[in-house]
Amino acid sequence: MTEWAVIIPLAIGSICALPLLLLAAFGMLYAFAYPFMLIWAFFFSGKRLDDQIADTTSREISLRDSLGRDPLTTLDGGYRTDITECGVIWAGVVFGPSHWHLLIGFINNLIGGSIDILQKVVAAGRAEAMQRLRENAVSNGYDDVINVRIDTSDMAPQGAQSKVKAVEVFAYGTGVKYG
Amino acid sequence: MEQTVQGILVVNTETIPGMMITETLGVVSGSTVRAKNVGRDITQGLRNIMGGELVKYTELLEESRQEAIGRMVAEAMGRGATAIVNVRFATSAVTAGAAELFAYGTAVKAE
Repeated sequence: MTEWAVIIPLAIGSICALPLLLLAAFGMLYAFAYPFMLIWAFFFSGKRLDDQIADTTSREISLRDSLGRDPLTTLDGGYRTDITECGVIWAGVVFGPSHWHLLIGFINNLIGGSIDILQKVVAAGRAEAMQRLRENAVSNGYDDVINVRIDTSDMAPQGAQSKVKAVEVFAYGTGVKYG
Repeated sequence: MEQTVQGILVVNTETIPGMMITETLGVVSGSTVRAKNVGRDITQGLRNIMGGELVKYTELLEESRQEAIGRMVAEAMGRGATAIVNVRFATSAVTAGAAELFAYGTAVKAE
């Protein structure tokens, strides 16, 4: 009788603790792997970012060449009257700097002035979101996108205990098809 | 990303090109808070060290936005609207990895 009274709470307790133990194991693994990944980021994240920017730019240029113009405009009103179809389209990208870039940004922050590396990261994410909006418009059969708006929001709000440092760039507009 | 979501025309311009707005039915909105499971949070945290796009979070926000728009459209249908104009989106991160997506616009009758 007394044995069961001890065993059952212990069993329930260990089952409840299992996920927490797993999390703790992940945490230790993370702490162990982090320095190596930071070194990896030091060597490769700059090149990765440049590749990303080059990829976005080449897609943008090839799409502009095939259409003959940039389909995005921020105009609302004053557009052509021969529109037959319209509908809202959007594209979002969650984009973050590497922790090496954050470290450079932190050092820049101490000195003051413009933090070029973080600006470059956010600009790359924004270019990617706009390019996806163009591709969405083309794949949905729209000729133009009017009234384009671009929002940027923080994925890691102040005060939240988060390891993820990223922004979400979200571009949306109304796709129109000319008759 | 459909041009009409369940038969309702959704645009973010003030007017609908080629249509006349006959009646406005007030502001309709839809919001959703979603999160990925903790495993995804861990893998995305690791990916974040390298920098670049966090693909799973992009997918998460895409799904959430579909849901938010679906709720907005359902509200508009309940009011008997045929279109929603001047749609705006707002995003806020409640905690790490959980985002609130909010879509709002004006429900109208248009012909």
